Amino acid sequence: MSTPAIVGNPLREPRIILRRYTIIAIAIAAVLALGKYTIVEETDWERMGSAAEIASTTLDFLPDLAFFPETFLPLLETLLIALWGTTLAVIMAIPVAYLAARNITPHPWITYPLGRGLIVLSRSTHEIIFALLFVSAVGLGPLPGIMALAVRSVGFMAKTTAEAIENVSPGPIEAIRATGARPVMVFLYGVVPQVFPIFVGNAIFQLDINIRRASILGLVGGGGIGYMFAEVMQNLRYDRAGTIVVGITTMVILGEFISNRIRNRII
Amino acid sequence: MRSQTTEIYEGYLSNRRGAQMWKFVALLAFLVFAVWSIDVLKIPIERVLGMFGPLWRMVSERLMPPDLAYVAQPKILRSIVETIGMSVLGSLVGILIVMPLAWFAAWNVSPARFILYPLARIIIVIARGVPTLMWAMLLVAIFGFGPLAGTLALMTATIGFAGKLLAEQVEAIDMNRVDAIRATGANEVLVFFYGVLPQVWASWVGIIIYNWDAQFRGSTILGFVGAGGLGLYLREQLSVLEYHTAMGVITVVIVLVILSETISHYLRHRLY
Amino acid sequence: MALLEVVGLSKTYPTGEAALKSVDIAVDAEEIVAILGLSGSGKSTLLRCINRLVEPDGGSVVFDGTDITKLDKPALRKARRHMGMIFQEFNLIDRLTVLENVLSGALGVTRTWRGVFRAFKNADIQRALELCERVGITDQIRKRADQLSGGQRQRVGIARALMQQPRILLVDEPTSSLDPKIGREVMDLLQSVAKEAKVPMLVSVHDVILARNYSDRIVGLQNGMKIFDERTASVEAESLDRIYNIAS
Repeated sequence: MSTPAIVGNPLREPRIILRRYTIIAIAIAAVLALGKYTIVEETDWERMGSAAEIASTTLDFLPDLAFFPETFLPLLETLLIALWGTTLAVIMAIPVAYLAARNITPHPWITYPLGRGLIVLSRSTHEIIFALLFVSAVGLGPLPGIMALAVRSVGFMAKTTAEAIENVSPGPIEAIRATGARPVMVFLYGVVPQVFPIFVGNAIFQLDINIRRASILGLVGGGGIGYMFAEVMQNLRYDRAGTIVVGITTMVILGEFISNRIRNRII
Repeated sequence: MRSQTTEIYEGYLSNRRGAQMWKFVALLAFLVFAVWSIDVLKIPIERVLGMFGPLWRMVSERLMPPDLAYVAQPKILRSIVETIGMSVLGSLVGILIVMPLAWFAAWNVSPARFILYPLARIIIVIARGVPTLMWAMLLVAIFGFGPLAGTLALMTATIGFAGKLLAEQVEAIDMNRVDAIRATGANEVLVFFYGVLPQVWASWVGIIIYNWDAQFRGSTILGFVGAGGLGLYLREQLSVLEYHTAMGVITVVIVLVILSETISHYLRHRLY
Repeated sequence: MALLEVVGLSKTYPTGEAALKSVDIAVDAEEIVAILGLSGSGKSTLLRCINRLVEPDGGSVVFDGTDITKLDKPALRKARRHMGMIFQEFNLIDRLTVLENVLSGALGVTRTWRGVFRAFKNADIQRALELCERVGITDQIRKRADQLSGGQRQRVGIARALMQQPRILLVDEPTSSLDPKIGREVMDLLQSVAKEAKVPMLVSVHDVILARNYSDRIVGLQNGMKIFDERTASVEAESLDRIYNIAS
């Protein structure tokens, strides 16, 4: 009994290996070209300074601990903006989800595209753009910030809720219909209980995200710590900027921790 | 005859009364919180309803129609390419960095649990905790204006965003298959490549695409703080009160984001 | 006159499948009628056409003198309140408790605000508790429906249907998702409940033994057509065999 001679690579045909590596090589070349064109050419390498200067500037950001107390009120403001923005978004998401759910939308050719269109607009526009819009219309302060966050978050809430509505099991809905209940009741007892856990989970998720979003709204006048951050950066007080960054990060981490706990208890 | 039913009935009613009282208290607390918030934030609540008129007028008169001719200029088109380039490079390099990081940040397979795990987790949390635009501002201060800062910001955002998702996938794998590779005596790197990676690869690809989509949205606005991309022109036009051209830039941004989402959605579904 | 008269009932689904071909059935007060047939014979469709959860294409369904097929939506809802339905997959509201599920049977006559806030009337709560006791589920009333076993869930389904104080029970393969032993317990309960309330019951089954043991009359369906309709006591083995023969 003789073993057959093994020719070439038994794991892969040579041709496939060659093609694979060629594709990888081209991809790497493309990325490098992209890098060169986008970054290397557009960057002012001389103004940046030497590596030592870069390191020194980075160290400038070490937090100034004495500055912490001054950040508390703006941070609180940021938190409140996030809370109320999310609350508004959650409330507004219900009618939008109703329109955007294929199975319950009242006029499929009109209301469904309308609902989905609103969702797309909400999700595609950065909150800064919304903030600019609302600040122009209603003035500076936390109010346009809240509105901007609300309009930004509606999309995600409505989209996930509409998808949940579209995926409900028909059984319980059938059962409630069979008792002769009005459509409102069929919705409340057949659809809502199935969608509720997803809705709440997503609301909490959005709240976490919105805390981060709220911290930059102040850059364009939407309240919160963003304004203070812009100010200290402009004054080159990088150590204070570092303090603010630490404050924001702490708030975000705490927020996620709490919301995880809440989510586990509710669902 | 006092049946078991009557006792249960009365118990149920008294429980319900208790529950209803708690709900009432919660509602009251919510209202108090609302009033307090309005005070702390100094919201001019009495003016809120009157704001919709000026808002609508502003949108219909000052913003519409968007000046699309402005957008057709070569410099804007170059800027679009720059924006896309930033997002691709930033997410790509970020993904390369964050893949091993996610490995370290997964409790079940982290090679040095008590050192690498907390370190990786902290890095990911900090990267995620700071908003991308803020990262951009910090990096502009260090590296100067331009797309370098923007790309680095997107890299950092990727580490935060994708890091968490990738690590979650790793923590959900079947450890038996990992143990099988460990049992051969392979080192930790090979255990990762043969035991972990095959299990998570499918979901990781989805996350990579999802991440690019998310980063692209952010990349469109980074120019606002000087970190490269379209945002620069938005700020420029707004600063000279040219609202129609600004709206043109915004329109382009929205269209690009819709496109990117469609692409990413399509890709993710084709790969499954 | 029979309490329920179904004449010439037909239904063809949009896929082209003809589920019911001109079926006639009459049900007297206090009768238990078993609808026997294989999967796909049209049993489920028949039951659902009676309360128009599925819209029939032809024929009439006259219940207590009223033609259900001709009713508009509000009137249909009113009619449904008197027809209790029990499902093969139980169709309970998973997140709600057993008690709340039983109470949901009364949603047809509950005012909107009471339904929204789940502030059911005390009289309704008391009745629901009594029904829970009747079906043997009292120990579970505070549990969420998705924490129950199959047999327990079906009992809740039965209590929910009874909550409507129905004048007819439409039961769709009540035991097909249950173990045989549990299934028999459920059938015992159904039979005793129907007899006690003096209410006619239409039960669809695919098991001959169940049909034989629990019904006053057996109606055989095959491929959407009624192939026999006889009193259980006098039904012949040959008729039953025909059900299980593939159409020749």
